[in-house]
Amino acid sequence: MIEIRGLSKAYRGQDGSQVQALADVDLTVRDNEFLTVLGPSGCGKTTMLKMIAGLIPWDEGSIAIDGVEVDGPGPERAMVFQNFALLPWATVLDNVAFGLEMRGVGKAERHERARELVTTVGLAGFETKRPGELSGGMQQRVGLARALAVQPKVLLMDEPFGAVDEQTRRLLQEELLAIWEHNRVTVVFITHSMEEAVLLGDRVVLMSARPGQISEIVDVPLERPRSSDVGGLERSSEYSEITAHLWERLREMHAEHGRVGGIAS
Amino acid sequence: MTATVPARTPERTSESPVPPRRRDRRPAWVRALDSTTAYQLLGFALFAVAWQLYGTYWGGLLVPTFTETVLAVGDLVVDPEFWSAFAVSNQALVLGFLAAVVLGVPLGLLLGRFPVAERLSNVYLNILLVTPMAAIIPLLVMSVGFGLASRVILVTIFAIVMVVVNVRSGVRQVDPALLQMARSFGASERQTWMRVLIPGALPSIMTGIRLGLGRAVTGMVIVELLMVSVALGGLILNYRSRFDGAHLYATIVLILIEALVLIGAARWLESRLAPWAVNQRKNG
Repeated sequence: MIEIRGLSKAYRGQDGSQVQALADVDLTVRDNEFLTVLGPSGCGKTTMLKMIAGLIPWDEGSIAIDGVEVDGPGPERAMVFQNFALLPWATVLDNVAFGLEMRGVGKAERHERARELVTTVGLAGFETKRPGELSGGMQQRVGLARALAVQPKVLLMDEPFGAVDEQTRRLLQEELLAIWEHNRVTVVFITHSMEEAVLLGDRVVLMSARPGQISEIVDVPLERPRSSDVGGLERSSEYSEITAHLWERLREMHAEHGRVGGIAS
Repeated sequence: MTATVPARTPERTSESPVPPRRRDRRPAWVRALDSTTAYQLLGFALFAVAWQLYGTYWGGLLVPTFTETVLAVGDLVVDPEFWSAFAVSNQALVLGFLAAVVLGVPLGLLLGRFPVAERLSNVYLNILLVTPMAAIIPLLVMSVGFGLASRVILVTIFAIVMVVVNVRSGVRQVDPALLQMARSFGASERQTWMRVLIPGALPSIMTGIRLGLGRAVTGMVIVELLMVSVALGGLILNYRSRFDGAHLYATIVLILIEALVLIGAARWLESRLAPWAVNQRKNG
């Protein structure tokens, strides 16, 4: 369980004014829950995720994972990055094994585990390729495999499919669902796509910008497993109701901040 | 944990890897004519003809023609005196250049990673970058003498700036996202160096070494011309005093060839050690 209490962070903007990136955020992420976080750009959703990851400090409040205060990165968490963050000089296999290597797992063992994960994400046969030889979607499969390889309890995903084309994004969503359905870790998934948030999440956390706050948490009662019939899901009335509701809320936010920011980043 | 997940077959993924370049369907001789080498050869031929004409009609005593220079190159290549001068010069080059790499690479790495070190040293690096090196030769001679040591030191000073500056910018240009990624997986400072910073800076390290090599050759010749007339520099001065234009030019041509060969070797090494960087450059 991830408990976020009173989390706040301000930083100085370029014009010298104080920008409230996060203001008094309270959030509880349940064990083995797939939580998606949706919001306009500048709402602090990525900032919050990186705080959970222990990568950036905050001003006030606390984050605890299973009762233990977050103080830097930890082995129970693994992150999937928006722009993949793959080592361009390393092979697919070495990239997937990177987290294990950092933990001192021996070469033979980490390569064996990496090979399994490469197969899981559908990249068997590409083990010796370098990231530059792969398409964006394949690169993010490597990023996902790298995170899964360290067997985290919490998977932190920062707009992982934001940088790939629509078709590929679709396949990656289905595959992520299939992987997660077999291995239910806690997932915090940042996105700026309503459809993605509803399709994947058990709950959708809707955030608003200036200051970054949680404006609503929406339950997604769609049946699981969802991976086998994503298309049918999208035609269901529950799905349309939830997305319509989210869209309404996003449009309200957009009207409030219309002159200063858009919805998609 | 993944044993129960059905393995995805590659066919299921719609994306394909980056396609190889389109094959050139033009006939071989057209492609050969269109290659960079062909243009380089053409450029060189034009240059040689212009030189020949100028040398023949307007050159006078001190500008030999192209053919005279080529003949003189042939002379020097079989002249043991030239080769012993070449060996003496290269002693300073090899030692000075190695010192520049051995000292410059770690220094550049530190400066790139720690802003404090950089603030301390920036002024001195800039001084080294802009000072006419010839100006410090008398200073060197006074403190170290005319021997091999002062030639080596000068070559080192010439080359090290390029190495340090490039390595430093290489470390600084390592994608911050990669550093964050490494931190998120719990990388120690040592692991970050070995697995992220040094590989990430390697292309720039190699560039620094290549540019440093060019500067080292310059340093080698300058020190011999200005400080102690030995070896190749001595030969050049000697031919000049005898108004032997052809051999003077030939010596310079041979130094140029050496520099080109060395830099070509450095480039080759670069492509072997950091192939991903070469690919990036081609694509981007």
